[in-house]
Amino acid sequence: MDEKPKSKQNPLICLPGQRLCPSDNTYTSGQGTYERQGYIYSQLAGYVDIVDKDKVKVVEVHSKGEQTVVPAQGDIVTAQVNLITQQFCKCFIKCVGDTVLRRPFRALIRKEDVRATEKDKVDIYKSFRPGDIILARVLPITEAHTYQLSTAENELGVVIAHSERGHRMVPISWTEMQCPKTFVKEPRKVAKVVPENINQAEDKEEFKSVQE
Amino acid sequence: MANIGEYVYPGDVVKNVKSIKGITIIGPGLRQNEENPNTLCISQAGKLCFREPNTYWIEGKRHRYIPKKGDLVLGVVAKKAGDSLKVDIGSAEFAALPMLAFEGATKKQKPDVQVGDVIYARLLSAHREMEPELICVDSYFKAGRLGVLPNDGFLINISLNLTQRLLDIKDPLLPTLGKKFPYEIVLGVNGRMWLNAKQRKDILTLLRCIEAAEAD
Repeated sequence: MDEKPKSKQNPLICLPGQRLCPSDNTYTSGQGTYERQGYIYSQLAGYVDIVDKDKVKVVEVHSKGEQTVVPAQGDIVTAQVNLITQQFCKCFIKCVGDTVLRRPFRALIRKEDVRATEKDKVDIYKSFRPGDIILARVLPITEAHTYQLSTAENELGVVIAHSERGHRMVPISWTEMQCPKTFVKEPRKVAKVVPENINQAEDKEEFKSVQE
Repeated sequence: MANIGEYVYPGDVVKNVKSIKGITIIGPGLRQNEENPNTLCISQAGKLCFREPNTYWIEGKRHRYIPKKGDLVLGVVAKKAGDSLKVDIGSAEFAALPMLAFEGATKKQKPDVQVGDVIYARLLSAHREMEPELICVDSYFKAGRLGVLPNDGFLINISLNLTQRLLDIKDPLLPTLGKKFPYEIVLGVNGRMWLNAKQRKDILTLLRCIEAAEAD
């Protein structure tokens, strides 16, 4: 059933699997749609929208309450560590870049992907602990239900961690964090978090104390 | 306010803590008090003990074993999971014992271990957040006394205090029994004991004596 997309006054409501229009030079499939055998079909139940991009009309389908952001290969994600073993570390992806996800995605960090150097001498217990918040990069997707992450860069690793007593720890080097109340040091793979605007940060006292 | 030699409850505070150059050694059952950092807070019921110059600990009747690195423990194989075994040592999680951690084991020739076998092993690592790891060899890859125990023994659970008492060389119970009849015994620090003797009635005698020692 062919339906040419209507104007915004009469928005076209479509169902999943509904054929929208033929896919040719004027119309291409956008988010919420897919192309099959020369036609554009809808993936979601919602409103059809046409967006003009580079002299081509992109057909999109938007549904209410959807979140279309999904971790893709190469994205920097924020995850919380759930379980550690000798071989790997399981975590939940909470945010992709700046977007907070509505539901967490399961992810796995293998022992070899924790660091860039000395990969075989990694001790997961000295890099992550359950409850830590980490920054990681998504690796090429191989498994069906879990993402593979890597923290093998200076800017990736543990950002927020709590000590065994429950106090938030302060990073003191790339491999250690210290509890401010009990002064106990705990080993972690710490992320090198750089302030977004270095010039602005120079005025802040925190940056001055780090430099000292 | 708790005094040395008294029976104390969890929540009691130990004041006037002796320390050498600011260092006090605290054993099981005690932890540093958060409200008042120079005092100790008690977390187990028992008797408060002190040893010169700066060591405190609580002695109470305990059955729950908390894994510690380097301990020699007795475990029962619960599951075979591919390359490793899951062993029940009485801790919160089953311990992992790799199949290659036996003497003379290679990828082609794995040791003959079945579900339900009793294993005497050493704890390689034990943390709160991870499952404990066991090995049946030392750093020279020799087994010594570690490994699978023969099937004709008898495994019992005892309290941790009795285990510590029996492991003491000066304790007279085990040598006295040894003068009466020969027997084999393996003590695991996790509160488990494996016994074996030539005759059934000898094994029963051993059991009765251990029960009596426990009741002390």
